[in-house]
Amino acid sequence: MIIACYNIKGGVGKTAATVNLAYLAALEGARTLVWDLDPQGAASFYFRIKPKIKKGGKGLLTSKKTLNDVIKGTDYQQLDLVPADFSYRHLDLQLDDFKNPDMQVRKLLKPLKVEYDYIFLDCPPGVSLISENILNAADRIIVPTIPTTLSLRTLDQISDFCEKIGVARSKILAFYSMVDNRKKLHRQIVENPPADVPLLRTCIPYASNVELMGIHRQPVAVFAKNSKASQAYQALWNEIMSL
Amino acid sequence: MKSPQSTVFALEQETDVESVFELLRREYPVHATYEVQLERCYLDTFDWRLYRNNRVCGWDMLDGSERKKSKGIFFVRDKKTSDCICEYRTDRAPRFSRDIAHRTCHRILDDLLDIRALMPVVTVAVKSRQFNILNQEKKTVAVLIMENHVLTGRVDKTFLAGRLIVSPAKGYRKIFMQLRHYISAQLRLPCEQFALLDEILAAIGKTPGPGACAGVSKLDDSLNTWEAVRILLRYLFQVMQANESGLRDAIDTEFLHDYRVAIRRTRSLLGQIKHIFPARRQVYFKREFYWLGQITGPTRDLDVYLLKFDAYRQALPKEIQKHIASFHLFLERHWKIEHARLCCELDSKRYQKLIKEWHDTLDNENIRWSQAVASLETINANKPVRQIAGKRIVKLYKRILQEGNSITLESRDEDLHELRKTCKKFRYMVEFFHDFYPEVAVRNLLKAIKQLQDHLGDFQDLCVQTTQLCGFAEQMQREGLADTRTIMTMGILVEKLNVRKSVIRADFEHCFKTFAQPDDKVAFMNTFGLQN
Repeated sequence: MIIACYNIKGGVGKTAATVNLAYLAALEGARTLVWDLDPQGAASFYFRIKPKIKKGGKGLLTSKKTLNDVIKGTDYQQLDLVPADFSYRHLDLQLDDFKNPDMQVRKLLKPLKVEYDYIFLDCPPGVSLISENILNAADRIIVPTIPTTLSLRTLDQISDFCEKIGVARSKILAFYSMVDNRKKLHRQIVENPPADVPLLRTCIPYASNVELMGIHRQPVAVFAKNSKASQAYQALWNEIMSL
Repeated sequence: MKSPQSTVFALEQETDVESVFELLRREYPVHATYEVQLERCYLDTFDWRLYRNNRVCGWDMLDGSERKKSKGIFFVRDKKTSDCICEYRTDRAPRFSRDIAHRTCHRILDDLLDIRALMPVVTVAVKSRQFNILNQEKKTVAVLIMENHVLTGRVDKTFLAGRLIVSPAKGYRKIFMQLRHYISAQLRLPCEQFALLDEILAAIGKTPGPGACAGVSKLDDSLNTWEAVRILLRYLFQVMQANESGLRDAIDTEFLHDYRVAIRRTRSLLGQIKHIFPARRQVYFKREFYWLGQITGPTRDLDVYLLKFDAYRQALPKEIQKHIASFHLFLERHWKIEHARLCCELDSKRYQKLIKEWHDTLDNENIRWSQAVASLETINANKPVRQIAGKRIVKLYKRILQEGNSITLESRDEDLHELRKTCKKFRYMVEFFHDFYPEVAVRNLLKAIKQLQDHLGDFQDLCVQTTQLCGFAEQMQREGLADTRTIMTMGILVEKLNVRKSVIRADFEHCFKTFAQPDDKVAFMNTFGLQN
């Protein structure tokens, strides 16, 4: 199953969600792969893997090199990573040269679907050809959403975008991320979710342990197993799996 | 690029392990991750399906007081390299592939295990230490695992040579190759030649393989009928004995199935190759093996229903599938009763007598039917087996053609059943004596007869099931296990099976024609008829 973690907005907890959910999937024994598609390479950083691939993104699209050739094993069993590369910032332009420019990611992932039970795509923010590729390739699109008015508006935009490019809205699984219960607005929005967009029950709290992932360079469950954040990611994974 | 596989180095008894790690530490940033004592139980099926497919499967439990606190780990590994193929934490080792909750493990093992159960092969105590080789980012780029194994559960503890397993992290090939070279060239550790499981099995004197069920050795042309039949019957007897304890312990359904197939083949030989036993012995063994077939039947029937239960449920519309849940309960209950009954019969004096008599008859190479040897009763015993078997095969073939040709759309179900029985006898005879005929001709003939047999088998199964399911429904009602909805659902199921039965029945003519094509008849007579 291909699970894309996507949002038009940046800084909403996409990478943290990808890294933690992928870790939990692998912990259960599922063969799991994360593809860090964000040129910032945060997921690669969390896994202590150099954000560089030989011949860059263009090499993947044009040469005989396959994704399998650039996969790196992480420190966790059953969990592998395709590292980010700074050249991914030009991926849109490179994709545009192909006959079916919106289906190239799906094509690249096809051979890996038999080798991995879950493939997580950590997507860069924005609406672009690469987003289109990712949404077309994914079986599930998880959308971390901060409980603010603008973020909810973004969720509508994603929904419309999916419809526009022919991706079923039912693939979208939104959840509240970085929920700060000290903020009245956050509490109000979580308690009164919008009627038109289905949201998962689990909320990921705004927690220092999530930020500490950058110091430990590990998923939360590794260095703070019993923390609220770790439990929230576990609950989120259970909920996604129960669907 | 394919990732390199793990390399296993031998740590002989005189090797100073601490010095090895000290030297490694000087060269590489080594980080100790864990040191544990485990109890490892290796698992495989009765017929070593995993071993034969280069897989090792087992169940690791922490030793001592830690065991209660944590779950065990069920793993599947490559036998030669010890590379982990998949593993997951679980409270108890699975027995059947259906018990494996983990999707990948299930997928890998389901094809190999089919309906066979995993059984403990051997238990070893393992002391395991893991060290990671890190890069500048403190990321693991290779893993070193040192393991020491002790065979437990024996009078004397047997210590096996330690092993150092060096595993690459995916995508870090260069460092792995350097590390491997360093260990072999600088530390001078030899590569381990044998898989760990092989070493353990050799130490306990177990030989993996099909064992008693390996098949029969090539039959020589020069054998007389008694010598050849004795070889075949002895083999079938070995299969029965090899499966008896498994069927008593109800490890999996294949034990009883294989046991019954061996009985059926024995009966077939006794019936088809006549005049090699004195008449009284022949009658006794035929009667007793028939009895053995009868007493094992009810448990096997219930096994089949339980194995088919999911297919029955799937055949029903989704909304009524739940109504046959109590049927499963009924089958399980009655299976327990029938199995206990079967075990009682296997403990009976009658069974023990049969086994002893049969054993004595087959085990005594020089047995002579002293009074009867020259009489008509054992007239075939000294004749060339090829002649006797060949005549029988041709006769059965002609009988198949005759019975098959006489079946019309109006024929009774029993006529098809009779034809099926003849086909079975024929197939067994061809399989028993295939060594005397050209391989390709035998293969083609067996393929053709199997297709016809499968067709007739499906039809017969449906005949039995439709009748038996109605009987079960009534019995369930009497036992208070079926309400109206269950009875109606079972009725729907019977109806579906009846429809399927009609389709197969209508297709018989075509199926038989395919078997009895004029060209094939000529080919058969050329191969089997003329050879005689």
